[in-house]
Amino acid sequence: MKDVLFLALTHVATAIRERITLFWFLVFPVFMLVLLSLIFGQIGQEGEINFDIALVNRDAGSSDPIGLASMIVGVFEGLGAPQAAGQEPLFTLHRPGQGEDAGAFLEEELLLLRRGRRAAVVVIPGGFGETVAGGTAPSIANEPEPAKLTVYMSRTSVASEMATEIIGQVLSEIDRDILVRSGRFDRSAEIQAQTLWLGQSDEQTRYIDFLLPGIVLMGFFVNGLFGVPGGILFNRDRKVLRRYWVTPLSVPRFLAGFSLGHLSLCAIQFVLLFLLGRYGFGATISFAQPVAFLTLILAAVTFMAFGFLIASLARTANAGMATANILNMPMMFLSGMFFPVAGLPAFLRGVVYANPVSYLVNGLRASVGVESVSFSPGLLIGVPLGWIALSVLVAARKLKWDVER
Amino acid sequence: MSAFRALLVSESRILLRDRMALFFTLAFPLIFILIFGFLMGDIGDVSQSTLGVFMTADADRDLLDKSLAATASMTIQPFESLDSMEEAVTDRRVDFALSWNGDSLLFLYDANRVQENFAFQQVAQGLATDFNLRRQGATSAISVEPIDVGEVASTGWFHLVLPGILAFSVLSSGLFAVSGHLTAMKQRKVLDRLIVTPMPPVALLAAIVAVRLVIVYVSTLITLLVGVLVFGLRYDVSWLRYTVFVACATVGTMGIGTIIALVVRRPSSAGNLANALAMVMLFLAGIYFPIEFMPTFLRAISKGLPLTHMANAMRYATGVMDMAETEFWAITFSFLGIAVLLLPVLARYVVRPLRQ
Repeated sequence: MKDVLFLALTHVATAIRERITLFWFLVFPVFMLVLLSLIFGQIGQEGEINFDIALVNRDAGSSDPIGLASMIVGVFEGLGAPQAAGQEPLFTLHRPGQGEDAGAFLEEELLLLRRGRRAAVVVIPGGFGETVAGGTAPSIANEPEPAKLTVYMSRTSVASEMATEIIGQVLSEIDRDILVRSGRFDRSAEIQAQTLWLGQSDEQTRYIDFLLPGIVLMGFFVNGLFGVPGGILFNRDRKVLRRYWVTPLSVPRFLAGFSLGHLSLCAIQFVLLFLLGRYGFGATISFAQPVAFLTLILAAVTFMAFGFLIASLARTANAGMATANILNMPMMFLSGMFFPVAGLPAFLRGVVYANPVSYLVNGLRASVGVESVSFSPGLLIGVPLGWIALSVLVAARKLKWDVER
Repeated sequence: MSAFRALLVSESRILLRDRMALFFTLAFPLIFILIFGFLMGDIGDVSQSTLGVFMTADADRDLLDKSLAATASMTIQPFESLDSMEEAVTDRRVDFALSWNGDSLLFLYDANRVQENFAFQQVAQGLATDFNLRRQGATSAISVEPIDVGEVASTGWFHLVLPGILAFSVLSSGLFAVSGHLTAMKQRKVLDRLIVTPMPPVALLAAIVAVRLVIVYVSTLITLLVGVLVFGLRYDVSWLRYTVFVACATVGTMGIGTIIALVVRRPSSAGNLANALAMVMLFLAGIYFPIEFMPTFLRAISKGLPLTHMANAMRYATGVMDMAETEFWAITFSFLGIAVLLLPVLARYVVRPLRQ
């Protein structure tokens, strides 16, 4: 037993000493956790995102009885200032300078929009205020036609699409104000849209709660996929394993020590990621429940076994690493770990169904209450167990513990 | 010159025999775009979604139908009861749902669809606004007329992602090409034998660069072709800009990769370091997520990364993004400058046998 524990300790110490292992084992999952929660955790939240937009008021100086153009400019200027200390304004507003030609400014801004330096350019056309105040020109249907405000945008830019959407909402509020002021809309008779969140709680799952189980499993997966074949094959190719075999240590005891070390690394990784998620990003999910705990163990063992499978099939350490590299991205992204996979074509859905990561991600997320169960309980456990069985079988027959002489 | 020619021939043979290197250079970008193309092809496109609708008998159906027709471009699925609709949302048979009982508009969402609910809520907000205006017989006083200034008809976010992936494959190949190959030569003691010949060190580097350059160029063309044929993406490629940029960016990143060859001893370490650098840049360079979605400090980091500028230049060369002509050539020639500065200087330090 002492030799097994010693081997486990050696495995952990070696992994921690190797900077590149440490990178994939800890730095990369932490980087992904921080990056994804900073980006997707705040989509649509004011004070967290910022768009460069330009505003050109071509109605300035014309007859505007209700001061509508000035009001719109005021609203955008308000949104161009931070809403609280330390926050970013929603818009970084670009306006023509004093005495600057508005036409030339607009041309310049449209060029910047095409070049991705602006998310949108809003133009208040000449005569806009007068058109709105004067009841507008009649349309074919004899209904008053709304005065048009032009928003230049670029459909090749997601940021531009999003900024245009937000500008639309801002203008929709202004529109409502105008209608209320002109007596055409009664706010008290307005029907408020209600929201019902269907899930375990009565609010939307927080992104960090959704993300954290995925990142933990990503860490386990990368650890198993690269760490296991790397640990076995490099030591075999550099003839380190051969030195073990001249001692009384047997292969099963070596395997026990190696596996214990690997699972200890997974445990360390889990604790660090969990603490960062909880105290750094305010995650509220709890893994302290039997199903979540068992899923974590099943995941760590499945990915470790998968690592042995790769080590068995690769002839050299470099080939093993290359195989792991090829499998890494497809298995991670075709599992629902980061992106929804429901809309994939049939041939890729086949990969999703064969992929053990899909079941483990869904099982873990469902067990902590941030996703509904997509597979039957039999499949959630059976597919990962099937991969473990297959990997053990192949490893038992094919894995070579010493370089060929 | 004869040394360079001989090395060019031998390097070409080595690369063509190295199935793993060929696979990684040619097929890896393809795996990327096939996965991400299908995953991200319709990202944020709610028109493919389904909205469940339940209306009670006494509710004004015509009014809601008109609003739905005017604002929701998605598939509408009617339900006979609120319970069955709730079940459909939970089971994801519909993406989100709306109940109208004559007094209140209730939008139902699956709380766990954290990545998609934002887009559904945007649709719901527009629908509720239109519905309220219609209900009071009011029409908007102002309306927004969006005008697309893009010169290329976009087919979605993935249209921009693909040139980004091309830039990424140039970067990762460039970073690994010289460092991986040289460290492997050192490890196998091939370099020990070459170094005792009259071969100038820079000739070896030039041969490695020239051979990999061709492979990287072919790889980007194949990836682009798959994007066009499989995903129906349209690019208005300026072949002169494209060719010059890919060549300069490849040699420039190979120059950066030569620094890796200076600091690592083993090919696996070179691969790991190049991979780690490329992955970090991939997520920060605005290739998968727009830079505008990032916090200020990440945006500043992003602007300092070579991959951010490579992706923008590649988008310009493929006609999906506008850019000042001077900026494009400044980026392109910066990479050439890096190569011209680094490769000859570092050649004498990296083309050396491994110290024992």
